[in-house]
This record gives sequence, structure tokens and C-alpha cells, in this order.
Amino acid sequence: MDFRGILDRLRATGAPGLLGHDLPRAADPKDKKDKGRGGDPFVWVEPARLPAFLERCRDDERLRFELLIDLTAVDPSKDDPNLWVVVSLLSLAHRHRLTVKCALPKDAASLPSSVPVYRAAQWHERECGEMYGITFAGHPDPRHILLPEDWVGAPLRKDYVFPDEYHGISCK
Amino acid sequence: MGLLERQFEENVLTTRVDWLLNWCRLSSIWPMTFGLACCAIEMMAVGCAHHDIDRFGAGAFRASPRQADLMIVAGTVNFKMAERIKRLYDQMPAPKYVIAMGACATGGGPYYKYGYTVVKGVDRVVPVDVYVAGCPPRPEALLEGLMKLQEKIQRSSVLRRPARTA
Repeated sequence: MDFRGILDRLRATGAPGLLGHDLPRAADPKDKKDKGRGGDPFVWVEPARLPAFLERCRDDERLRFELLIDLTAVDPSKDDPNLWVVVSLLSLAHRHRLTVKCALPKDAASLPSSVPVYRAAQWHERECGEMYGITFAGHPDPRHILLPEDWVGAPLRKDYVFPDEYHGISCK
Repeated sequence: MGLLERQFEENVLTTRVDWLLNWCRLSSIWPMTFGLACCAIEMMAVGCAHHDIDRFGAGAFRASPRQADLMIVAGTVNFKMAERIKRLYDQMPAPKYVIAMGACATGGGPYYKYGYTVVKGVDRVVPVDVYVAGCPPRPEALLEGLMKLQEKIQRSSVLRRPARTA
């Protein structure tokens, strides 16, 4: 199925938390500042209902997304009040893909964990959590995965301030 | 040895004790086995037959810091690793030497500006004897670094009292 087909199926079955979708488009030749949008088409999903949405994607007979390829996040800009959580799904049975995005407010970046649906999400959510300061509620093992356990701050946020020292070692 | 074999009576060699001690030390610099990033691949190449670090008596990569004389910091040092490097260095018996191999270990390399978790040079954690430039350095460059370290050891004095200042 292509993106249209997946989207129609999601709408027809009333997938929980589905908000909308976005398609790549060419730049408007009249508007010099408009650069268009490349990349994949994706669907917007309500963060609080992301696990339910993913469960539907996994279990629906026509979709059957067995694999969670990636779960990561984006801090689009310093001025943007939101972070995006991005999930990539792949169906081996139907040979199609889907990109799912959730917008989270930066000052309250929290959403339920997707580990009950896809166990593969465990390490991805740990990395995502430490790098962007996102809380995945209900994660079975919410330790840091790459950074030291006592690291302060979320390094991949645009407003991250570098520390002066770590355990007496200068960071400058 | 063919020309010299079985030609002489019993012989005595005279030399300075310091020279002899330094010669012993520089001829068997055993490095510690550990690599941190892509530089370690070049270090492995140095250990293999083509470049053959064994020619310098430094081919016995030890699996324990307690048997090692030289720490080749081959790669990117991050803060999590830096504390472990310090501990390993402290566990090495003296005399001990450190080679900072490559741009990352020397000064943070490409991670200098935005590497939030990279130490900007391993010399902030342990004292470095020789810096080897390159990203990563060619095996020849590491051998050059080893030879520089040997020169440095040759110049050191172990037993000789330092010259008195008048």
C-alpha cells in the first residue's frame, strides 16, 4: 500500500489519536523564501494516544506494521514551542512504510511509553529521553543509555548550555 | 654474527648504568590493549606484520594495565571513558608513558566545538609524553611517535644525580 492507501485505511478504521497528515511538496516559484518540503509523507498523532495508535498499526490486518524501525525526536527550532517525536514503521508482510509524528510542548515533554506495543522501542526511548529531555511514562527501565547517569541537561535541545566541567575535567 | 662468532676471549663491556637502564626500558615498551575509536584500527595495523611494531620491542600488547608501560590513547575520549582512563593509568606501574594518538585524543579533534561529551584532549586527564597528529594517523606516524618516545626515554636519567646548580 502507498501512503494514501495507509491513510485511508487508518481513517476508515478510526485509528485512535490520528490528527492529520503532511505531504512533501515542491517549492512555490513565486515565493523566494518558500523552500517546499522534501522527505516522507507522515501522519500527525496525538502524543497521549501514540501507543494505542501504534497498536492499531501493528494489529490491523491490512496494515500489519510488525517492525518499529526507529523512534527518535527533533527539536525543529529555538523559537518553536514544540518537540517532535518521530516513529518509523515497516511492514514486511505488505512491504510498506509509515512515518508517525507527535508534537510535544518543550516545557512539558512527556508521553506514554510505546514499549508495551513494540519492545524494540526500549533503547530508542532511553536515548530519545536523555538527548531531548522527554519523559516516557511507564518505561520499564528509564536509565540513561549513552550519557553518564549524572549528566545534567538534554544535549540535543537547541537551547542546551554546555557544562563548564564534569567531575573536575574541564569541558571548555 | 657469522664474522664475529667464536672469535674472542671472554669480554667485558663498559657503559653507563643510566644508558643501560634506558636501553632496557626503551627496547621493551609494552603497550596496553585498548582502543577507543577509528585510530585503534590504525593501531592494530601497526601491530600486524606489514608495519610490525614488534621491531621496536613494543608488540606485546598487554591485557592488563599492571603489565603495561605505555598507554596509547587511540581515539575519542569522552567523559564517561576519561574517568576509566585515569583509573587505568593509575594502575600502571612506573615508569609509564602515554601517547595521545590522533586529533581527538590530542585536542578533541572534530568534536572540539559541539562535542558535548568529548574531552578536549586526553592531557586534561593524564600526562601525555608524545602527541601523534592525524585523523587518524597513518601507521608510520604512530611508529614515528613511538620512536620519539624512545628518544625521550634515552635522554632521561634514572640513577644519575641532577647537576648541582652553583
